[in-house]
Amino acid sequence: MGTVFNIQHFSIHDGPGIRTVVFLKGCPLRCRWCANPESQSPTPQIGWTKGECIHCNGCLNGIKDLNCRFEEDDLFWDTTAKCDAKEVKRVCPTGALHLMGEEMTAGEVMEEVEKDAPFFVASGGGITISGGEPLLQPDFTCEILKLAGKRNMHRAIESCSYAPWEDFKKVLHQVDYLLTDVKTMDDETHKKQTGVSNELILENLRRVRKEFPYLPIHVRTPVIPGVNDSKEDIEAILAFVYEIRANYELLPYHRLGVPKYESLHRVYPMGNAELDTEKYMELETCAVMSFAQRPLGGQYGPPKTTPRGIDTMLMGGAGI
Amino acid sequence: MMSQKVLSPQEERILKNKGRVVFLDEKSRPRLERIYYGFCDEKSVVDVQRARFFTESFRETEGQPLTLRWAKALYHIAEHIDVYIEEDQLIVGRVGRPGKYGLIYPELDGCFLKQFIGQARDRAESPFDISSQDIGIIEEEIAPYWKGKTYYEDLSLSLPDDVLKVTYDPKDRFSSRYIVNESSAWRSALQWVHDYKKGITCGFNGIREEALKEISLLNDMDPRDSIDKKAFYDAVIITCDAIVLWAHRHSLKASEMAEKEHDPKRKAELLEIARIADKVPAQPAETFYEALQSQYFMQMFSRIEQKTGATISNGRMDQYLWPYYEKDVKEGRIDPSGAKELLSCVWLGMAQYQDLYISPAGVKFNEGYAHWEAVTIGGCDANGEDATNELSYLMLENKREFPLNYPDLAARIHLGTPERFLREVSETIKEGSGFPKLLNDEEIIPGLIAHGATYADARDYAVSGCTEVRMPNLDTFTTACPWINLGAVVELTLRNGRMKAYGDELLTVESGDPKSFTSYEDLERAFFIQEEYILKLAFKQQYIANRLHAKHFASPFGSSLHRLCMKNGQDLHSEHIDGGVEIGFFDFIGYGTAADSLAALKKTVYDEKILSMEEVLGALEKDFLGEEAIRQRLLHAPKYGNDDAYVDEIAKRIDRFGVEFGEKYSEKLGVQMDLRYVSQSSNVPFGSVVSATPNGRRAQTALSDGASASQGVDEKGPTAVVLSNFRTKNSDLKNRASRLLNIKMSPAGVEGESGTQRLTAFIRAWRDLRLWHLQFNIINQETLLDAQKNPELYRGLLVRVAGYSAYFVQLSPSLQDDIIRRTGHETFGR
Repeated sequence: MGTVFNIQHFSIHDGPGIRTVVFLKGCPLRCRWCANPESQSPTPQIGWTKGECIHCNGCLNGIKDLNCRFEEDDLFWDTTAKCDAKEVKRVCPTGALHLMGEEMTAGEVMEEVEKDAPFFVASGGGITISGGEPLLQPDFTCEILKLAGKRNMHRAIESCSYAPWEDFKKVLHQVDYLLTDVKTMDDETHKKQTGVSNELILENLRRVRKEFPYLPIHVRTPVIPGVNDSKEDIEAILAFVYEIRANYELLPYHRLGVPKYESLHRVYPMGNAELDTEKYMELETCAVMSFAQRPLGGQYGPPKTTPRGIDTMLMGGAGI
Repeated sequence: MMSQKVLSPQEERILKNKGRVVFLDEKSRPRLERIYYGFCDEKSVVDVQRARFFTESFRETEGQPLTLRWAKALYHIAEHIDVYIEEDQLIVGRVGRPGKYGLIYPELDGCFLKQFIGQARDRAESPFDISSQDIGIIEEEIAPYWKGKTYYEDLSLSLPDDVLKVTYDPKDRFSSRYIVNESSAWRSALQWVHDYKKGITCGFNGIREEALKEISLLNDMDPRDSIDKKAFYDAVIITCDAIVLWAHRHSLKASEMAEKEHDPKRKAELLEIARIADKVPAQPAETFYEALQSQYFMQMFSRIEQKTGATISNGRMDQYLWPYYEKDVKEGRIDPSGAKELLSCVWLGMAQYQDLYISPAGVKFNEGYAHWEAVTIGGCDANGEDATNELSYLMLENKREFPLNYPDLAARIHLGTPERFLREVSETIKEGSGFPKLLNDEEIIPGLIAHGATYADARDYAVSGCTEVRMPNLDTFTTACPWINLGAVVELTLRNGRMKAYGDELLTVESGDPKSFTSYEDLERAFFIQEEYILKLAFKQQYIANRLHAKHFASPFGSSLHRLCMKNGQDLHSEHIDGGVEIGFFDFIGYGTAADSLAALKKTVYDEKILSMEEVLGALEKDFLGEEAIRQRLLHAPKYGNDDAYVDEIAKRIDRFGVEFGEKYSEKLGVQMDLRYVSQSSNVPFGSVVSATPNGRRAQTALSDGASASQGVDEKGPTAVVLSNFRTKNSDLKNRASRLLNIKMSPAGVEGESGTQRLTAFIRAWRDLRLWHLQFNIINQETLLDAQKNPELYRGLLVRVAGYSAYFVQLSPSLQDDIIRRTGHETFGR
């Protein structure tokens, strides 16, 4: 059993081809810009989407322990109360009040993922396990990936790489493609912005390259205003990317997660921060140029959908 | 990867050119633009000549065999109709005045002429201009003759009470009820494709010889030969003479114009037109130009003959034109750009013809002046091997460069389709104007074989109309077929055989008071009682239509291009043709609406018991006014199009019931009736008579279209839409035909090389799942919303409506809304 907060079909940014992404709940990091705050806590929790509420008041006395109440226009409830997804669905007709996260077996997950199998074969796509952090549920992740392997699926994980090496290693034996974040090389900044040191992350990734020399690694950096949006920041990461012979991609900071903070009654840690478009374009050019000048393989840009997925193999262990 | 909006090439062009339509091929652009700008801003105008001369001839031939009367009328028209040669045109043969024109077919539904004259200019859907002189001709010469003689009047008077009640308002037979809609009274023949190859290679002199030879073989002692067949072959001979005469008049006209022409280049062009029109279609064509001109003469002459559903289609153009193109290229007579220019000239001719519907139901079903003159490319040959050639690629290239909605390009896809073709098809789809639509050989060919076709005929099918297919020498069924409103079936179930729009009148049968149902099974049983009753009425309606159709229409021209008609001496519109494969259909409209409605009741009332039937019925009665919580409950029940077995199983049973009904009763009807899901734009008028439904849909709004999900509910992405389609098919049964499948994607979803690869992969998976049809709208929702606000900037914006693309700004507001609400699968990934 594991805790899943979403299974998304026809995903095209999280690995090659047409993929189904399984988002697991729970993350060891607390990135200030996190766009999926509901994925951080490892257990199911209640959320409320203001825009979908029609103020039918069905929830007010609907679930006793929850003690729902409106204060002005916002709904509040007892966040420590346990409750069941069915109960929540029962009281709320629109799904504005909803339970985030569901306990599922690996078999149940696979049943949903496998639905899109015809598209995986045709596109060189497959399954991506993401989160939250898949390595926080290593056994569950392994179990799903093993089932996927038995079905000839291309398997990717999307991880922050912050996990005990033994867990990481166990999972990687079941993985064809690793997507990972490197947010900054500066440890102080990393601690301040994500709550943890980057030492373990970098060490893990070096070990991945050493022990899994043919595994394609795709490193991504979310460019966050005031955190890692200088040329020096990106150049430092690039050096590391070259060291572990990975592909690379920058992702621009966005604010799409803001309503989710509101629905959890949490303050959005990034305030009004905005990413300077021009600055971002400069960084992207810098990364593209840097890759262009590299003598050995590797590429910049999102994972490629390629004819029948052939060169997902060629991309493996770029530069070897 | 910045969150800048990605635009499709079509959107970029519209933005850059401020709505002005631009032809991309550099070499032919000046000519094409001159032709196009000569007509594009004009209003669509009615041309009465065809109707007038047809009527004149019919007045003279009463009592004679119908096929002979038709042939004589064609000859009379060919002799007298004005012949035009447009400036700059290289291809000739229009059947109406310069500019955008539509024709009238008074023999079909001339009883609406009076009403039409009054409303033509101002109606919301596809208005037409008409001159006062032409109004005079209609009022004095045309309408009076046809009074009491039209097919429509005959049909409406022939329907028994039970059928009449669900077809027309019994008190006003000119007003449709949109429950079981007949479609045979707004088109005189089903979508069709001729054997153009025969016309091009034999010529009509050759076909005339063939008819003479058949006459010489007739047994004069057998009256079936000496009367019936003789009349048919005589009709063919007259028809051959008619088209040759008509072409020859173009030749004379071109010669005349050449004499007066000062520009030496144009003079040479006119002389070449004169030479070609003198030669084809009488004689076999020898070059690409001649073959194309020959085909176009046939194509346009068909329009004079019949109001064929969706207008006659063009068949497998890349196949029958290929030998000429290959030879010309080899011998240096033509280059790719010259061939594209000639093809573009054909499309510009097509674009000026406007499919005119004079009955209110006809126009509501076929918005946007649409005529789906499909051109088929790709697919396999008779032997099953891939048939694509350089001409197939040239036509895709031409489509990317040519900004109009003609022709309706259809690409056949099969297991052996080369990757190059898949790729170029994807790149063309990415342009964003909805072309080409895709048809799947892997589903269609086995289906045709199961219906009795040979391998060779089945593999040589051509696309015709929206998503239909024809085997040009083997298909023989031509009566248009009924459309069934599944939204109405839901309402009839919940109102015990009645509908709110029609008061207390019992329209069908009583299937029980829903409040008395104790289980979901009771509800579904009642639904199938209504579905069965409606199907029964639809089949009765078709039985009558089949019989009347043969009494009202003949097609000597179409017959001359049909192997079996020529062999048997039978007109194509006969009730039955020996040796033919007769395939008809019935359409379910509102499939998603019905499945979602049943699923919502199952979930909320019977499984979870959150709502009572009384509460739901009460909310429906109020059109959800003040009952938003109930509506939300219903909206949040499982919806078709999300690959959710809960609702897909219900949808599959609705489908199965229809297909089994077809298998059981087709024989009695003498035609194989197949269940289809092709709505064209009928989901809008059908929705307008249906009150609120338990899927959360408000009263009078559109039903779901084709086999697509209800508007906006397909939240699991395009793979789930495709898979829901796949999992609701009953592939163990035979009487199934096309399912129209719309996928809307944002340009960002198919951006770049990866996007092309993804689209190609998507098409491959669709092919492997053996789904019939697939088409894409690659467009940003913002573009559509802006086009509604600023139509003048978006005159050239093409969107996929159903089996066809149309100019968005020419559609009625309710159909525009419907298109906007079809989900755009935009937010992939995060």
